[in-house]
Amino acid sequence: MAPATSLTRRGFAAAALVLAATAAARAAPPAAASGFIETVGNKVVGVLRDASLGRDERLQRLSGLLDEATDLPLLARLVLGQYWRKASQQQRDEYVRLFRALAMKTMADRLHEYGGETFEISGSHAVDDRDTIVTTRIMRPGSQSPVNVDWRVRDTGGKLAIIDIIAEGVSLVVTQRSEAAEVAGQQGIDGLLQQMRERVEGRA
Amino acid sequence: MTIGRKSVCGASRWPGGAAAALLAVLVGGCASGPSGGIADPLEPLNRAVFRFNEVADGLVIEPAAELYGLVVPEAGRTSLRNFLDNAGSPVVFVNDLLQLERERAGVTLARFMINTFFGGLGLFDAARHFGHVRHEEDFGQTLAVWGVGDGAYLVLPILGPSSLRDATGSAVDGFLLDPAVYIAPSDARLAARVADGVDTRYRLDPVIEDLRANAMDRYATVRTVYQQRRQAAIANGRATAADPDYEAIFQDPEAEDGTSN
Repeated sequence: MAPATSLTRRGFAAAALVLAATAAARAAPPAAASGFIETVGNKVVGVLRDASLGRDERLQRLSGLLDEATDLPLLARLVLGQYWRKASQQQRDEYVRLFRALAMKTMADRLHEYGGETFEISGSHAVDDRDTIVTTRIMRPGSQSPVNVDWRVRDTGGKLAIIDIIAEGVSLVVTQRSEAAEVAGQQGIDGLLQQMRERVEGRA
Repeated sequence: MTIGRKSVCGASRWPGGAAAALLAVLVGGCASGPSGGIADPLEPLNRAVFRFNEVADGLVIEPAAELYGLVVPEAGRTSLRNFLDNAGSPVVFVNDLLQLERERAGVTLARFMINTFFGGLGLFDAARHFGHVRHEEDFGQTLAVWGVGDGAYLVLPILGPSSLRDATGSAVDGFLLDPAVYIAPSDARLAARVADGVDTRYRLDPVIEDLRANAMDRYATVRTVYQQRRQAAIANGRATAADPDYEAIFQDPEAEDGTSN
């Protein structure tokens, strides 16, 4: 059995080496995350400012950017929190579908609110080996004071994705998670799904 | 999962005195609850007051704010806001000092002098053009800096979301720390409070509309947003050490299960 053991050991050492290498590669430096936010931000502002685009095309491009820049299934799981673990596969699939639909609907509803805002990156710091917080200032037209927005960026195995947005101290994930837990706690996961369905269909 | 209040309780940068210790006992210290950050043992009562406030808002406050927005032009609204902010800045100054924030106290004092003497008794925010940007501070935040937890979430009639600590703080600000208590007639102070409320409601209108349109549980959403805003205000925009409760959220529940990929 000796050769097998040594083979296993060698295999283990190799696996550890590969893991260490991936871990190093995964630890995206803050600079990569701020570059990512800068690129995404510029694309979004570009689409919002492009006067040649009609509403439908603008929305379509923004949804594309939303899917590209965030990891919506992961975001949905983080928001559902403890109830994700309790949900059946069918409930999970339905939840992720509704989560994405609501995100798209919210974006469509708020499209007209854009009033020429621009942004500047003001800093970034690593939270752990996969997450980085990028801080930005959203500059508003006129004499209105800028809004501080932080972006939590995760390195999901080589691909960067936004997994939280913190506007003036208010986290999107914390807020939505708190609400989802309240509704699911009172009405169950099916009750939560029903409420989301009503919102997607605009019946609320 | 319980998301506690460790970050605010840990925000204390210097040990509070006997008074703070007493208040800590009084308002229950660092209680934490399952409500996404703030303990809410009075939830049934709070929800009832919340419903009352929504009705009162629909009947009186929102129409008043709408009328105000229609009648008073933007320049007038800005001047009123500046005046109220300036009149409230002595309270901010005292709380800056109580938190040993010398630099911020200096900014608040400079703003008050500039805006009172060169800004038409505060109607114009002249200080902003000298780079002195306004910040908020109140005795509830001071208590938090001294190590007092929020105690319990409270919804006050008409005044809205608060906590045992912050309601105590508002009372101390309004009846003790505000110099206006000692020099202005009570009618004038009441009028200022009402004007402040109407202007604030007017400015919050888009947020409230958004809440009405999108929130599944408005009560729960207001509660967590209030708690997060207070936490950010207490930290004065400093990057605080990562909050363990916030960080715990970002453990992917699917990965924990071992079902991921």
